[in-house]
Amino acid sequence: MVGRVLIGQMNQLNYEELEDLELLAKISEKDRQALAELYDRYGRRVFALAVRMLNDPVGSEEVTQDVFMSVWRRGASYTSKKGKFTTWLFSIAHNRTIDELRKRKRDRSRENTDIDDHLNIQSSDISPADAAVAQSEYLQIRAAMEKLPVEQKHVVDLSYFKGLTQTEIAMKTGQPLGTVKTRMRLALKKLRTALSAEIGAQA
Amino acid sequence: MTETKDNMESNENLDHRFENLAGYVLGALDHAEERTAVEDLIENDPEVQAEFEQLAEAAHLLAIAVPPAEPPASLKTRIMEIASQGEPTRLQDVVAEYIATKNISRSTPWWQHAFQSGFAVSAAVAVLVVVVGGTLGYQNNQLGNEIETLRANLATESVVVANLQTELSTTLTDAETRVAEMKSEMKVMEDDFGATTEMVVHQEEMVSELAIVNNALRQALSDQSWLTYVAMKEDYQLESWLASNTPQVTTTEPAASGLIAVRVVGNEAVFQVHGLQQPQPGFAYTLWLMGNGAPRPVAQFEVSGIGSATIAFLLPAPLRFFSSVMVTQERVNGIGSDPTGIMVLSAQTN
Repeated sequence: MVGRVLIGQMNQLNYEELEDLELLAKISEKDRQALAELYDRYGRRVFALAVRMLNDPVGSEEVTQDVFMSVWRRGASYTSKKGKFTTWLFSIAHNRTIDELRKRKRDRSRENTDIDDHLNIQSSDISPADAAVAQSEYLQIRAAMEKLPVEQKHVVDLSYFKGLTQTEIAMKTGQPLGTVKTRMRLALKKLRTALSAEIGAQA
Repeated sequence: MTETKDNMESNENLDHRFENLAGYVLGALDHAEERTAVEDLIENDPEVQAEFEQLAEAAHLLAIAVPPAEPPASLKTRIMEIASQGEPTRLQDVVAEYIATKNISRSTPWWQHAFQSGFAVSAAVAVLVVVVGGTLGYQNNQLGNEIETLRANLATESVVVANLQTELSTTLTDAETRVAEMKSEMKVMEDDFGATTEMVVHQEEMVSELAIVNNALRQALSDQSWLTYVAMKEDYQLESWLASNTPQVTTTEPAASGLIAVRVVGNEAVFQVHGLQQPQPGFAYTLWLMGNGAPRPVAQFEVSGIGSATIAFLLPAPLRFFSSVMVTQERVNGIGSDPTGIMVLSAQTN
């Protein structure tokens, strides 16, 4: 992407051409149009992550709203030490969704579903183009996950998508806590190796 | 097996700085203190920062690789509406708004205008003072009555407050007692948790040790095969007598085993041992030939990380002339005429 593009004689900023960090800078100046553009870029993915974890579109709307309002209010707090911008954004989304998930778990115990159920495309409102991209990414993540030893796949699913803590996973699987930690680390490293070349380029 | 290897590789490189990093990235830490500790490390340790970026990137890939779902259009509208409402209202803004609502003027008071108009109106003011004074006197009397009423109400309220204070004090005492009980219960739970953690660590150590022993046994088997092969090819006669479960063998180390191969022609011999622990500090293992006059120390040797050693030596007489072979721990460079140290392995040669 290039920097800024001027349209006609009005010197109007074309927000679609701005980099993420330029949008973030404008958001910290309370530029609503920048927030709208950021939502257009990542709103669906944040919502999709929440749906994937909560399996509840209504709750996922609230989570998505909270995430973008958090960026609106705290966008200026982002630094490169927090990782890439998108990594930071999705970590906010993930943490917010985990909070919601754990809150719900406290309220009532939920029936766990199998990982394969989660990996299936759930929404019928997806456009054909998006569905194609989704299917491609789904196949990639599925392939990468399938390459993991089943124990490592299990801890990733339980922690990232179901919101269980390390100790809860150790108790649920009957494995020592150290083993759970090791499996998490190995799984992430393998996934990164397997997926970064495929999906990272598209992100 | 792959999983075990992976774990072993990880454990070998175990660094407590990285211990909770994956859990942090996956949002799986149990306590806020753990999260704070990890964030401090990320902030201050470049190696941890680099590792964090890698793991976070992997977690990010998980996030973007979920099937897309389309939020309703109303969600964006709602977010933009909230954003347009701006930051939460500050107290001083609330006050300003209240003043505006009540139409309270913050301009110059009327009496300043009056004085600014000069002495020309002073006579009129004097008359006004008399009238206003009378009015104020009446109002003052009314205010006095209201104050008395308020004082009476205040006395009643004071009694109520005193009662509330008594109740609050009782509640506080109960709460403190309950907090003390909960602290005591938590202490018991922490002790239990500590014991459980210790067991888990112990189990992990056992798994690691078992893996090492397993490797050592595989190596020992491999080496024995090799020595057997060499014995056949090089005219060695294999004296395989040091299996620890054979009756002629005495050992203080059940995992230990060994053998001797002797060349058919000549007096060259090879001694090989497996499964020995590392000797005590300052001591080394010593191989003795026994039962043909005075005990003969053949060699002092060290064992590898998996407890194995191979020694080539010259027999002072044919092996059958000796009744037994013995391995002891002797002081380094301090071998006497007789074995005096701990005997770890002994076997008859016939």
